[in-house]
Amino acid sequence: MKTFNVVGKNIKRNDALEKATGKAMFSTDMNIPGMLYAKVLRSPHAHALIKSIDTSQAEKIPGVKGIATWGNTPRELFNTSATMTFTVPSMEPVLDQYIFDKVVRYVGDEVAAVAAISEKVAAEALKHIKVEYELLPAVFDPLEAMKPEAPIIHECHAGKNIPAEIVKFGMGDIEKGFAESDIIFEDVFKLPIQKQAQLETQAALAQVGSDGGITVWSTTQTPHPSRMIISKIFSTPQSKIRVLNPPYVGGGFGVRIGLSAKAEPIAVALSKLTGKPVKIVYTREEDFTSSDTRHGGYVWVKLGCKNDGTFQAMELKSALNAGAYCSFSGETPGVLGAMGLAVYRMEHMSYYGHSVYTNFTPSGAMRGFGNPQAMFAIEAAVDTIAERIGMDPLELRLKNIIQVGDNWCLPYTCGSTGLAECVEKAAKVIGWERRGTLNEPGSKILRGIGMGVGTHCSNAWPFCVDYDNAIITVQQDGSILLAVGVPDIGTGTSTTLPQLAAEAIGVEMSQVNMTFGDTLTTPFDIGSHASRTLYAAGTAVVAAGNDVRKQILEYAAVVMKIALERLDITKGIIHISGSNEAESCEGSGICRSGEESMTHISVRELVYHAHLRNKQFIGIGRTIPPNSPPWHAHFYEVEVDTETGMVKVVKVAAAHDVGKAVNPMIVEGQIEGGVLMGVGYATSEEIKISAKGKPLHTSYHKYLLPTAMDAPEIHAIIVESNDPSGPYGAKGVGECGMVLSAAAIGNAVYDATGIRFNEIPLTPERVYKRLQENKK
Amino acid sequence: MNTFKLTFTLNGEVTEVLAEPSEMLVDILREKMYLTGAKKGCGKGECGACTVIMNGEAVNSCMIPAMKAMGAVVETIEGIGNKDKLHPLQESFINEGAIQCGYCTPGVIMSAKALLDKNLDPSNDEIKEAIAGNICRCTGYVKIVNAVMSASQKIKG
Ligand code: FES
Ligand code: FES
Repeated sequence: MKTFNVVGKNIKRNDALEKATGKAMFSTDMNIPGMLYAKVLRSPHAHALIKSIDTSQAEKIPGVKGIATWGNTPRELFNTSATMTFTVPSMEPVLDQYIFDKVVRYVGDEVAAVAAISEKVAAEALKHIKVEYELLPAVFDPLEAMKPEAPIIHECHAGKNIPAEIVKFGMGDIEKGFAESDIIFEDVFKLPIQKQAQLETQAALAQVGSDGGITVWSTTQTPHPSRMIISKIFSTPQSKIRVLNPPYVGGGFGVRIGLSAKAEPIAVALSKLTGKPVKIVYTREEDFTSSDTRHGGYVWVKLGCKNDGTFQAMELKSALNAGAYCSFSGETPGVLGAMGLAVYRMEHMSYYGHSVYTNFTPSGAMRGFGNPQAMFAIEAAVDTIAERIGMDPLELRLKNIIQVGDNWCLPYTCGSTGLAECVEKAAKVIGWERRGTLNEPGSKILRGIGMGVGTHCSNAWPFCVDYDNAIITVQQDGSILLAVGVPDIGTGTSTTLPQLAAEAIGVEMSQVNMTFGDTLTTPFDIGSHASRTLYAAGTAVVAAGNDVRKQILEYAAVVMKIALERLDITKGIIHISGSNEAESCEGSGICRSGEESMTHISVRELVYHAHLRNKQFIGIGRTIPPNSPPWHAHFYEVEVDTETGMVKVVKVAAAHDVGKAVNPMIVEGQIEGGVLMGVGYATSEEIKISAKGKPLHTSYHKYLLPTAMDAPEIHAIIVESNDPSGPYGAKGVGECGMVLSAAAIGNAVYDATGIRFNEIPLTPERVYKRLQENKK
Repeated sequence: MNTFKLTFTLNGEVTEVLAEPSEMLVDILREKMYLTGAKKGCGKGECGACTVIMNGEAVNSCMIPAMKAMGAVVETIEGIGNKDKLHPLQESFINEGAIQCGYCTPGVIMSAKALLDKNLDPSNDEIKEAIAGNICRCTGYVKIVNAVMSASQKIKG
């Protein structure tokens, strides 16, 4: 196997020092002279017409510099999500948002915004804006919202309140598949609305120059697509707009793929109105009520199986709660189906799914993007079938999982899988053989172990537009500047992408610096989402690295008078392949002489040699990523307290086939974080809604997300299948940790209690109620 | 506005700043002292991103009215180490991958420091308890707890 110098090493993160010392800059830290502060007036009603807005009293408050409403901001429709801005044909983009509209469609919808000399003054001014509403009927459940009597939230061509399209695909003959099955499991599962709850709320600072040029510092996960959206809203050429992270972003998890809710356009609109830079930072409550959530809703599964455990057919359906605006509601049901049908091999499959508008906070992208919803249902079906045919659920899974080259529903091939190895390794760590022997009769605490397997994507192609560019410019001093338009939202891309560049060129990590998250200094990149950054942007980085390496070697061959094929670059030294490159020629004088005897030269000296002869090495990578499935197996051990209904996850073994771990420490961190977010999804996190459409969980305290005290023992296990398509074999990892927790925890709780929960989170109330019912 | 002169010791230096009584310490630090290490994740005492050490205790600086900081000794992330001489906690967080987005990091480190200042031999559970008020959405806390543990070993020597 190829040995690497930089890839595969636990290189310390480039951003860690700044972050550990409090020096790292985030959007919320930004401060520029003359800056104003914005606050937003939000709808208290779930659905209403704005009959009038009177801002005159608010304008009189000293320190108020400008007030934006639907009347003085662009009437240009957009979608805050990146992908809906440029969907792949034949899908039509759904553009259903204005910065401010004359109709409000959920509690928290934007009505107006004030720019003032302080947040305090802006907040005070909001109280003096008088709005007259005419209430409209509202609907909150996706199934209700499809009924003929439900209010129309947006006109839709696909069906009543159905945004974008109904997604349908499959293979084989589903009816035939079920007819041939010995056993069929069928049920419906209900999923909650989960919140990303990233630590930095949505934020933006906008500055509009006197030439109309716009600069926006923001929390976006996708600076380039955000620039496209801003360009459309404000009819300003993209080339006059700069969107950048400052450079850090306090987490993403999908919540700002595209705009950071409406932080960017509100800041720009107010900056245009006032002629001053305007900063907006969402409060935590606003972040909860008025920025995208995970889709809740319904998933139906029907799984048919032979008595010997061979899967025959699976039918999957979904109806997801889109909330009041489309955002990612076109794509999420698609990914739910695609990932749900990609795990197991069988001849007959079908999927039918869509979202439904309701009068609630818009749902958008969140880590896993439909996949956790699908797997909660599917893995419950698999466990139930295993029990019915009397087979170990682990064996049943191993028997049916997709293998390389299998026919499946996805528009690309399965190029690698280490799933069987994931299952084997994680089963060992959790102690799968203990399953069934964990409980003493009469015990008040019931223990159980459950598992799940799954996959995901490594980018969004060919479902959405998805491509990358990378530029590597070798500076005159031999240092290397890598420019990629992705941000670092915490996933370590500002470390791992330079690792790939260093490996590709053959230089030390310390020689490579990177500019990222800035549309001015980087070429277009679709951004950080879909577990894509390392895999897809990494593919472009390796291409750029190879390009620059080739240029350097070609030049070196001439200077050194050695055949190109004989040359190699290692640790920054160009040398004859196989020779001891460590012995540097620097300072010996031969580097510059071009004598026959030259056997090696440092990149640094060669680059300067070239510079003196009017030449610079610039590598370009322009790639459309292939795609590849990262695989994972999760095992959870739980304790269920029969007196309180409390479900406690005590141990997790999470094995992930990441292709190749470019930086294992970072990979583990991704898995561990995903697992805990998944534990929250399965056991406590949910945004509920009042009868009038008011969200009931709008703060960290009300919304119970796991703290350190709730964190189980997590074993992140890395499996490397060396994917043929990914950079140095790597695949995606960012979302996978989150995909299987609800599924496997549901199975563990069943193992403990014998109760199958078709709805999460498994809160003490929900679990206690069923435990009591079971006793009767 | 009825401002008053707030005098307190900030990272070892006696500091004077004009403040409003209702102003919170986090805003004084961030807006007036330009020390943006302490972050604001909620402004309501629910996330710990704004944690600083005041008179030896880890506190949510978003819940400390300026008045209360009068005469206090306040330590922020900026005061406990720098790139040339890192605090052992900072070193461990960097070396052991305990930092992802980094938004929670200053707060977590300050909570952990308040613990280690008093207890150099904390158990896993004591560490978890000390940082229970610090929400981290990125890491799952695994590497954070490990980093605090190894920093305590390092300090003990
Ligand atoms: S900002 Fe102070 S606790 Fe969240
Ligand atoms: S590192 Fe992102 S919240 Fe902790």
